[in-house]
Amino acid sequence: MAARRPQSDDIDTLLPLPTAVFHILVALADRDRHGYSIMQDVGARTDGKVRLSAGTLYSAIARMLEQGLIEELQHSPDPASADERRRYYRLTRFGRDVAVAEARRLSEMLSHARATKLIPRKL
Amino acid sequence: MRSTDVYRVLLWCYPAQFREEHGGEMVAVFCDQLRDARRDKGRFAAAVVWAGAFVDLVPTALSEHNHVIRQDVRHAVRILSAAPGFTSVAVLSLALGIGANTAIFSLLNSVLMNTLPVRNPHELVMLTDPSARGNTLGMQSGERYFVTYDEFRQLQEQHSVFASVMASSSMLQRTEARSGGGALEPIAIRLVSSSYFATLGVSPVIGRTFDASREPAPGATPEAVLSHEYWQRRFGGRPDALGRTLILRGGVVTIIGVAPPSFFGEMVGERPDVWVPLAMQATVMPGRDWLHDQSGSLEKRMWLHLFARLAPGVTTQRAQTQANLTFSQGLATYYGSIADPDDRKRFLDQRLVLRNAATGASALRGAFAEPLFVLLAAAGLVLLIACSNLGNLLLARTTGRAREMATRLALGASRGRLIRQLLTESFCLAAAGGLVGLFVAGALRAGLLRLVADATIVLPAPFQFRTIGFVFGLTLLVGVILGLLPALRITKTNVGSALREGRGNAGSAVWLRVGRLVVVGQLALSLPLLVGAGLLARTLYNLQRVDLGYVADDVLTVRIDSQTAGYSQVRQTAAFEEILARIRALPSVRAVTYSNNGLLQGSDNGDQIAVEGYSASGRGDRGSSYDAVGPGYFSTLGVPVLSGREITNQDRASGPMVCVINEAFAKRFFDGRNPIGFHVTQHYADQRHTYEIVGIVRDSRQRGLRDPIEHRFYTPVTQPAAMISGVTFIVRPNGDAVSALADVRRVLQQTEPTMPIVRAGLLTAVVRERIAQDRMLAQLSIAFGAVAMVLAAIGLYGVLSYGIARRTNEIGIRKALGAQHATLITMIARETGWLLLIGLVAGIAISAGATRLIASRLYGLSPSDPVTFAIATVALAVAAVLATWLPASRATRVDPLVALRIER
Repeated sequence: MAARRPQSDDIDTLLPLPTAVFHILVALADRDRHGYSIMQDVGARTDGKVRLSAGTLYSAIARMLEQGLIEELQHSPDPASADERRRYYRLTRFGRDVAVAEARRLSEMLSHARATKLIPRKL
Repeated sequence: MRSTDVYRVLLWCYPAQFREEHGGEMVAVFCDQLRDARRDKGRFAAAVVWAGAFVDLVPTALSEHNHVIRQDVRHAVRILSAAPGFTSVAVLSLALGIGANTAIFSLLNSVLMNTLPVRNPHELVMLTDPSARGNTLGMQSGERYFVTYDEFRQLQEQHSVFASVMASSSMLQRTEARSGGGALEPIAIRLVSSSYFATLGVSPVIGRTFDASREPAPGATPEAVLSHEYWQRRFGGRPDALGRTLILRGGVVTIIGVAPPSFFGEMVGERPDVWVPLAMQATVMPGRDWLHDQSGSLEKRMWLHLFARLAPGVTTQRAQTQANLTFSQGLATYYGSIADPDDRKRFLDQRLVLRNAATGASALRGAFAEPLFVLLAAAGLVLLIACSNLGNLLLARTTGRAREMATRLALGASRGRLIRQLLTESFCLAAAGGLVGLFVAGALRAGLLRLVADATIVLPAPFQFRTIGFVFGLTLLVGVILGLLPALRITKTNVGSALREGRGNAGSAVWLRVGRLVVVGQLALSLPLLVGAGLLARTLYNLQRVDLGYVADDVLTVRIDSQTAGYSQVRQTAAFEEILARIRALPSVRAVTYSNNGLLQGSDNGDQIAVEGYSASGRGDRGSSYDAVGPGYFSTLGVPVLSGREITNQDRASGPMVCVINEAFAKRFFDGRNPIGFHVTQHYADQRHTYEIVGIVRDSRQRGLRDPIEHRFYTPVTQPAAMISGVTFIVRPNGDAVSALADVRRVLQQTEPTMPIVRAGLLTAVVRERIAQDRMLAQLSIAFGAVAMVLAAIGLYGVLSYGIARRTNEIGIRKALGAQHATLITMIARETGWLLLIGLVAGIAISAGATRLIASRLYGLSPSDPVTFAIATVALAVAAVLATWLPASRATRVDPLVALRIER
């Protein structure tokens, strides 16, 4: 069973996040999902540019569970369309904070690039 | 659905834990992906999904395994750091064990296995004897050690089987040279044919090497190629060294090139400073002509090693046949003038043997290979014993953690996971031991070389891939051995009973049984080490006390090389006599004499003889060793003259030819009769010298320490049977040997400055040098034996301690019921006694077989020497008894009340 480490206040140790992790956090940001749903959401959101396959997805999920970024739900969020074999995941508070920190970091990088006129103001 | 099954099989690449956690989901997700792909985009898209799964599999599976391993390692490090005492002792013992094995292996690698740093070393063959060094004047039947310059030239013509042939002097010429106006410095020169560098396939870093197209006439090419190290040392690595000259004793050579840094030549263990063409032999060794065979004497000067590169597609067999054809033809021509057909047949019985020369030639191999293998075996045994001790300790700790293990098993951990963690712990220990062991190996290797005390041996870089591979493999093996016992323990843990019991009583019984087996094994393995050490130590003792036939203390030997002066034999002898008279006149010298072959230098003369009144039967009585000695030789040495007289200065060249024989000679050829007055005739080809026996002396050793004393005769230097190229002065000082030596040096310098001193020192130092290797073996095997004994004793102590601790309850009850100390001690002793008995018996059986492996190294005792066996057995028994006494005495001091309260 994966050990759950106590949530650390040190968000910075986790940054920068691997691409897959960030995408999963974003996918879980608006609602709780199961694995395949995360996969589909990431694919749709990036117009097919980022495709997570099962191995990458669950490897990332295993790490994120350990780090306390996400947690597994005991019950399906929508009992009506519940699928017994699927496991649902939810973003934790800590996970949300980390996602926000990463977004901020990416945004800062973007500003730096704009400041040196590397890219135009509206990309 | 078939795809599910296939995908499930693929999931086996992931660690078990991950599979159990997420496997089901992954299969579900994969199925969804396939379904949607097929539905939306058809079969091609499904194939893309499959491809994606495969591509994704390897990196993620690897990363998951990596993650588990990192977790295990972190856990192992935590556990090991929590017991710093145990961990440091364990790592240190492993480091010592692994380090010792690695040091010995790396020496073996350098001496035996490393191929030469040349192009395609596996194409090289050698036509002379790889382990021979030196030179022979005369004749050598059977397999040739060396060849002559003429024979090399003849074989060089053999284009059909050899792509190229080269010759090099079998000994480095250690002489002195001056360069660029500097002082005279020692230099080591290798004389080589002009085809040397081309045959080996070595290109210079700057300049050029010798012109391989033809072998030049003597004296025609005064060139030299420097070694890289000498170039750095003497010329600062500057390119302007090219064109500079080296002034040698006999002439000047010009530097034309520098060899690459890793190149040391073809003789392992030797490092020449300079390579000079054979054609310049007279320049390097003035006063000698070794390029031409002496005319009219049928004595060949054999001094060269022969190497060749096989022509493409030619086998060693065919090359050997062809080479011997040419060789025999040359011999037939050379020895054609011998009248006697039997004699001629004997002279023609010579041949060349071709050997693969990828690892070069080495005199070290014959001397070192066997002792190194013996040492490696001993070191391996010690490591095994150390590992088993540590394994036992780890097992004990695991038993102590039985409750923790049982709890985890009960909570759902798989046995595989626990075993994996335990193995990780033992591998971490092994890895730490291996890493530290590398450093230990470096120090040990240097120490080993120094023990042999021969500063001229230079072996290439210590750590090469094969050695690193050895360390890695050994560490892995150690890790597995260490982890085996605890891992086995886990598989036998009965969860229920372990949780129920106080401290895991039943489980510890298993450990005790295993522990006892291990201890018996340790005892059985340490005894052969102790016996071996004892045998080698007694061999050393015997060698140090070899009866030389004379007193070796307080004897100085000084060898001079007379050939450099270039005198005729008559003039030379006169020079010796003058030197002798002057040394005798010194107040610091009590007595002095000289001889051609010196003492214990390993050189000797030997020829065919005919003894008057004796008909040879052919079993070792057709020839004899002999030496040419100065006046008063035997009285100076202190060898008693048993009958007749010794050689005096009345024995001139013009007088009657006389000789003195030793006891063995008298016994062999004159059994019963009085030899005085009879004649011995020495003959070599058509030369003959007949001597009248005038005296018999006690047997003594002139050549070596170990060989049995053979029959020999002594002629005066004024009436030599063979040419004399140097003499050793044997001096008995009057008081201080150091000042006597200084005086002798002064006399030699003043009287004959053209005869350089080759060697000078005390005879006892020579003896020490000759037994240096035996000393090394004895010291190291004693060290190994002692360590093994201590380890076995510790192992015994550990098992007994634990066993007694388990029975504290029982002992307490017995004491409460009135049992005496004696009864308790007997109870404990009985347990030890059985272990000891079985271990010793097994050990003796193993020793009896193992000691045969070192039989050839022993001197003065047999491999099954009962005294040594007895001493070793007693020593081990005493150590075992001591190891027993501590826990036993503790047991008898147990307070019954405390014991009864302990829940065991």
